[in-house]
Amino acid sequence: MSYENSPDGAGDPGAVSASKRISWWRPELGLALVVLVLGVVVIIGTLNVSASASVHGLGPRFFPTLVGGSLIIVGFLYVLDVLRGGRAAPEESEDVDPDAPADWRSVGLISAIFLAFTVLLNVLGWVIASSLLFFGLSIALGAERWGRSAIIAVVIGLSTYLLFVKGLSVSLPAGLLRGVL
Amino acid sequence: MDSLQLLLDGFATALTVVNLMYALVGVTLGTLVGVLPGIGPAMTVALLLPITFTVPAESAFIMFAGIYYGGMYGGSTTSILLNTPGESSSMITALEGNKMARRGRAAQALATAAIGSFVAGTIATVALVLAAPLVVEFAIGFGPEDYFALAVLAFIAVSAVLSSSIVRGLSSLGLGLAIGLIGIDVQTGQERLTFGVPQLLDGIDVVIVAVGLFALGEALYVASRLRHAAPDIIPVGRTWMGRDDWKRSWKPWLRGTALGFPFGAMPGGGAEIPTFLSYALEKKLAKGIAKEEYGHGAIEGVAGPEAANNASAAGTLVPLLTLGLPTSATAAIMLAAFQQYGLQPGPQLFDHNPALVWGMIASLFIGNAMLLVLNLPLAPLWARVLQVPRPYLYAGIVLFAALGVYALNGSAVDLVVLFLLGMLGFAMRRFGLPVAPAVIGVILGPMAEVQLRRALAIGAGDPMVLVGSPVAVTLLTVAALALFTPMIRSFLAKRNAAPAQVRATSQDD
Repeated sequence: MSYENSPDGAGDPGAVSASKRISWWRPELGLALVVLVLGVVVIIGTLNVSASASVHGLGPRFFPTLVGGSLIIVGFLYVLDVLRGGRAAPEESEDVDPDAPADWRSVGLISAIFLAFTVLLNVLGWVIASSLLFFGLSIALGAERWGRSAIIAVVIGLSTYLLFVKGLSVSLPAGLLRGVL
Repeated sequence: MDSLQLLLDGFATALTVVNLMYALVGVTLGTLVGVLPGIGPAMTVALLLPITFTVPAESAFIMFAGIYYGGMYGGSTTSILLNTPGESSSMITALEGNKMARRGRAAQALATAAIGSFVAGTIATVALVLAAPLVVEFAIGFGPEDYFALAVLAFIAVSAVLSSSIVRGLSSLGLGLAIGLIGIDVQTGQERLTFGVPQLLDGIDVVIVAVGLFALGEALYVASRLRHAAPDIIPVGRTWMGRDDWKRSWKPWLRGTALGFPFGAMPGGGAEIPTFLSYALEKKLAKGIAKEEYGHGAIEGVAGPEAANNASAAGTLVPLLTLGLPTSATAAIMLAAFQQYGLQPGPQLFDHNPALVWGMIASLFIGNAMLLVLNLPLAPLWARVLQVPRPYLYAGIVLFAALGVYALNGSAVDLVVLFLLGMLGFAMRRFGLPVAPAVIGVILGPMAEVQLRRALAIGAGDPMVLVGSPVAVTLLTVAALALFTPMIRSFLAKRNAAPAQVRATSQDD
């Protein structure tokens, strides 16, 4: 267990002395600041809403101001809590190993594949783009047999298209395969 | 009796071939997503929303209710056969259930869970039939200030209860409320927080928020810490219970039901608290062999919590249908589904759409019976679903997330928003922020705003109107208690120095 990585066994006295060596920055501070800044954004972002407020002054800015103000207070308390070493247990999940070090390579790869998919979807069409998405993600997540991944990817891409477009009349882009399917 | 007649009419709606088919699809899908890790009923209903436009409302809600109940059944299979529960409501089942399975009693654990779920689901649905008209009668005179107070209570309760840290729960709620603000203000037609992006005029669809926070967030989170060892699944044969198991199970089933239903109906009550209470109660009541077995796989510790779990699902439907108040993430998504059909749950829904409401309630009885058949003999089949290789499972989840969101508007911009929300969901999981308050904030926030403005308009701008009715005062007081009690307690605990803190954390494990 490394002390930089906030192990789950909180509260053991050994961690206290170790934590002194870490600077005040912790990754969770980023999220806490997002909450705080979002409160400011909500308030500033609705300043220009110039509604003819109703007779009693309850225009469209009233509730956003309430939400923004609350966000600032909660965000401030959250930042304080993180700075004072507070933390909550990360969510449990069937497939999550809580002791594993964060695998940023996988997260980055998956993000890149997904964003590439959003760009390519309308060009390539659902069948090809979603097959590539499935194939890429399964490899990024550690599938070892590439051939099998590729076959499953094509089957899923094709069958979802047929089921949802032909069966349930959902509109998905045909892309390159326009006219073929 | 009046509601009996309505219920019989409901059965007439639910028993048509088409609706039976939707119920079967619903419970099958529900069991499947309940068994599968990384995907739950809330997300499944959200994903189905875009493609159910063409389905009549009755059929859609019969299917959604089936998914909700089915998810409860399926979750127990996972927690018994695989000791890593994903949903917090099945966590307690895993305590004794997995130990039973390890001692070769997987079949009995699954059986008591399935039969207990059936018994609890049926009794709790009867309770729903009896309670709903009473609540409707009570709520018919609710003014906007009462609805606003209800929403506030739901916000606070869900944020305070679902998180070990209130400030994180409230942060999640605030994120949801802020997302809910985006778009055109319905009362004045003004743009809010759209930053000039035309796609944001209609706001961010609830489907994108739910799918992003749940599906994509979960996939990214799992990817960051994937358990690489193959899952350790306990094989299971035919599910059955001996005479002795029946004798030891039926009382915990009933006690679990009695705990689960009222807690499910309460804002913030959810399934976690009653399952835990049921577990503790059965432990306390255990005598003889049960006492010896407790902690090593006692059947009572599976029967009670599983019954509580299912009864709470029926309880959740009481405030959802009668008040339009969601108390769980799945209920919040179902509320969004009602809105999509232009329906507003509440006392009027029972008046205007009796066929829909009672058809859905009747289908719960039918779905429960279907689930018993699906889960008892077919348990080994569901157990095999657990062996799906994880890379394919999560790749598939992301693919369906993209499909559901794209199907909304056919817009790639939505997919980018989905990705950003996925990153947010990932961060929230990593730092232990509960996701449900955000989803409830997105859905209930705009409704709370409407009621607040309506109340203040009636009161000519005087804020005292918000505490102008005894109901509103009571609800707001409870909300304040829910907010401040844990704060005061944690403040006192901190002052009581280190020893108390160590004890508290060791209990969490």
